[in-house]
Amino acid sequence: MSEELMTAAAGASEPAEGLRAVRALRALADRLEALHVQRARELGWSWQDVAAELAVSRQAVHKKYGKRFS
Amino acid sequence: MFERFASDARDAVTQAAEEATGADRIGPQHVLLGAVRSPDSVAARALSQLGVDRARLRSAVRAIPSDGLDADALAGVGIDLEAVRAQVDAAFGAGALDDIAAAPRSGGRKPFDAQAKKLLELSLREALRYKHNRIDTGHLLLAVVRLDDAHAAAALHALGLADDDIRTAVVVAWAESPVGRP
Repeated sequence: MSEELMTAAAGASEPAEGLRAVRALRALADRLEALHVQRARELGWSWQDVAAELAVSRQAVHKKYGKRFS
Repeated sequence: MFERFASDARDAVTQAAEEATGADRIGPQHVLLGAVRSPDSVAARALSQLGVDRARLRSAVRAIPSDGLDADALAGVGIDLEAVRAQVDAAFGAGALDDIAAAPRSGGRKPFDAQAKKLLELSLREALRYKHNRIDTGHLLLAVVRLDDAHAAAALHALGLADDDIRTAVVVAWAESPVGRP
């Protein structure tokens, strides 16, 4: 998510509009994350490597995707 | 709370999780679609009296933006969803963006969202209201009407169904076969 887009989401004049934008961004980001994590795992990446790219802990990424993309 | 659910309502709840493929949580619209999966369910028979089958209900639900990807909202912040979709298709294969379900927020079973939880509570209230011992898909359908949410109830309204007609149809469907078999 670029800084410009975050600004746009933050700058929507109506709360409902801004919140809906945030929700839409999150849903999109979640799907992109799942696709890329799946691919990384298929390519043999360790959970540690995936976690490092996402800047989260290994445990967090394993908890979220461990069952799906073991 | 599911111990009070009749078998058709239990199936509906199980199938709601399948209906929610692609969403991160089970919403009322998924429970509604789950309730009409079997043509013998009370909900399916009630809606059928009103000329609505599972396919029509499904298209009505699909026509309402949900937790899926909200193209309008994304456009509002400068993201062209179609452009994103094209890039993802190129990298991951056609339909990849729609097929990948967002990861569940916590491990294990897909959770119900707040509205779906409310729907399940309301179905219990509908059963109590009719002094029924068990909750079946008829109660689930009536609970959708009572919930009056922006997904499931909105889909029923989009099909031109009036609340009173739905209620009457459910009562007729109950009359056709015994209520709340375990």
